[in-house]
Amino acid sequence: MIQAEGLTKYYGPHPAIVDVSFQVAEGEIVAFLGPNGAGKTTTMRILTGYLPATFGSAQVAGFDVAEQSMEARRSIGYVPEQVPLYTDMRVRQYLGYCGRLHGMSKAQMAERLEYVTDRCGLNGQLDAIIATLSLGYRQRVGLAQAMLHDPPVLILDEPTAGLDPNQIIEVRNLIKSLAGDHTVMLSTHILPEAQMTCERVMIIDKGQIIAVDRPEALTAQIRQAETLMVRVQNDTETVARQLQDISQVAAVRPAASPGAYYVDTEIGADLRAQIAEFIVNHGWGLLELRPVEMSLEDVFRELTTEEKGVA
Amino acid sequence: MRNALTIAGKELRSYFTSPLAYVVTVLFLGIIGFIFTLGILSRPQAQTDDLAGLFGTMVFVMLMLTPVLTMGLLAQEKSSGTIELLMTRPVRDWEIVIGKYLAAVALVLSILVLTLEMPLILEIGGDLDWGMVLSGYVGVVLVVMAFLALGLLASSLTSHQIAAALIGIFMLLFFWLIGWVSHSVSESLGDVFKHISVLENFLDFSKGIIDTKAIVYFVTLIGFALFATVRSLENRRAI
Repeated sequence: MIQAEGLTKYYGPHPAIVDVSFQVAEGEIVAFLGPNGAGKTTTMRILTGYLPATFGSAQVAGFDVAEQSMEARRSIGYVPEQVPLYTDMRVRQYLGYCGRLHGMSKAQMAERLEYVTDRCGLNGQLDAIIATLSLGYRQRVGLAQAMLHDPPVLILDEPTAGLDPNQIIEVRNLIKSLAGDHTVMLSTHILPEAQMTCERVMIIDKGQIIAVDRPEALTAQIRQAETLMVRVQNDTETVARQLQDISQVAAVRPAASPGAYYVDTEIGADLRAQIAEFIVNHGWGLLELRPVEMSLEDVFRELTTEEKGVA
Repeated sequence: MRNALTIAGKELRSYFTSPLAYVVTVLFLGIIGFIFTLGILSRPQAQTDDLAGLFGTMVFVMLMLTPVLTMGLLAQEKSSGTIELLMTRPVRDWEIVIGKYLAAVALVLSILVLTLEMPLILEIGGDLDWGMVLSGYVGVVLVVMAFLALGLLASSLTSHQIAAALIGIFMLLFFWLIGWVSHSVSESLGDVFKHISVLENFLDFSKGIIDTKAIVYFVTLIGFALFATVRSLENRRAI
């Protein structure tokens, strides 16, 4: 649904993105993850036709964003980082204006307005002047504007920036609920957000894509071993050594709190039942046993430090 | 073109939701009315002669007011980020420019309609040459349309409204004053200056002459300014 090939953009002599290529399948929700200034906004602006690429090409819904710009733009709903609102207008007027610019008829407009109002939780706010709305509602108006003409592709630049925690959760749930109906590409610099909302993550740093995969796969790719955390009540010096002797256990490291250990096991091995039984049999008093997930945050740090090492 | 009209409608509405349209209308009519009244009181006999002066005053007051009407048209969209909304809709750059321009033209034309009472008052006082009224208004409308096009160009050059207004006034003064300079330079250069001067091209209209050459001049100037505005928008994409 979205296809980018070798996108490169120079601002003067400085490249903002270099040779960015990726594909997004229909109905997928993909996060574009990277620190500020990594090139997320630039890439999105090229996809939406706001900026031309210096080199490379991109297609959205089968239309080349440079050659068939109007058709491509019709297929996209876009919310820039700074939500583009005319603050002197009422929500209804604003959405009406956006709809007319997409050539929607009155009848289409009435139907879609009801739908997006409902979907974006704007009931009762249609006649509010945009200037009086809270940030959370402004973000929703932005989303409503993007969904209004029922585009197959939604491109959302930092959709949760500046919102309070409750609003963030609402917006994330809204985005998740769009899966299937729309192909969604969102950018974020918040790692858990990408992990929570998206099926696939593209990590971009210094204008280059350095990893693309499902969040779980990304963590697995980096992780050398599966790790369990165990905590026992009757801690003795022999605990670590004896745990080490269980087959398929690669290493045992003491954790921060007393009686707690990280147990690294071979990849693919699930030793939880075995270890629990082992601890109980030795009468150590099992307090806690859980798998340790490597967070995207760790993956991200790992990938970006590697990158630094190369450079 | 439909998109241009949609944009024009939206701009026209926002002129009237802000105080700008009202302030400019009141200022313009106030100044023109004041000068017109002074003229009548000082020379009760004169009629048609007053018209030339009246049209000249209208144009000069518009020189200062039109950049204020156009300053926000593109500069504000840039500073608030809404330009990104507009430029990612299935709308061509020229439709954006024409839409904005039409809104400003419609507003100024409706302000000019309100000045029609002045020739009507002169008609009551005696007989009036309506042909001259017509040519005067044609001239004023052409000049003001050129001012608005140049003002829109100024608005496309910056994201700061006040800067846009100042650039606009500067450009209009250039096209106005270059006619004056024409007398103090060599004859051939002076001729060139005269030809590109808004003032020189306008003078015949206020005297009752509709000159095709002047019409071509204004249409060209408007076309150039609007074209440059479209290019300026495109250029912003290229940055």
